[in-house]
Amino acid sequence: MFKTLLDGAVMMAYLACALFFLRFYVQSKDRLFALFSLAFTLMGVHNLLGTLVAPTLDAERLHYLYVVRLVAYLLILGAIWDKNRARRSPR
Amino acid sequence: MAEAVYILCALTSAACAVLLLRAWRRTRMKLLLYSGLCFSAFTVNNVLLFVDLVLIPAGDLSLARTATSLTGAAVLLYGLIWDVS
Repeated sequence: MFKTLLDGAVMMAYLACALFFLRFYVQSKDRLFALFSLAFTLMGVHNLLGTLVAPTLDAERLHYLYVVRLVAYLLILGAIWDKNRARRSPR
Repeated sequence: MAEAVYILCALTSAACAVLLLRAWRRTRMKLLLYSGLCFSAFTVNNVLLFVDLVLIPAGDLSLARTATSLTGAAVLLYGLIWDVS
């Protein structure tokens, strides 16, 4: 029960961060913020799936859930790479 | 396959943390500091995930994992609300 409550708090925090980054994107039109927002939304979705679906999965299939998290991290890495590339070659 | 996913999660989150903290050292932008600290907590979370599910499958570190996720997200949220907005 307590852990489910904490998981809900984590998901809420992820989605709140995603909304902040979305606001920064709307204000600045910087793609970095859009990708951060998308990544944090994905992390929130992963958290939700982790709470709802994970108990029904067996140990062999559990790692498929974590692919969502991996995609979110790769999005962040892609966003940073994209930002660095833009700074090195200003158009 | 499962091990590879967990290790890749840990490596990518560590790479995010290092890149964000390096960018913060260069630019001193507060948002980068909070994002870097957030991903540092996520790295600890992913290391705990690997320990929990692969190294010690009999043990249960799920509460510690949730706590580290909450710490990371809370640090970033604090930064976004208090320092950046």
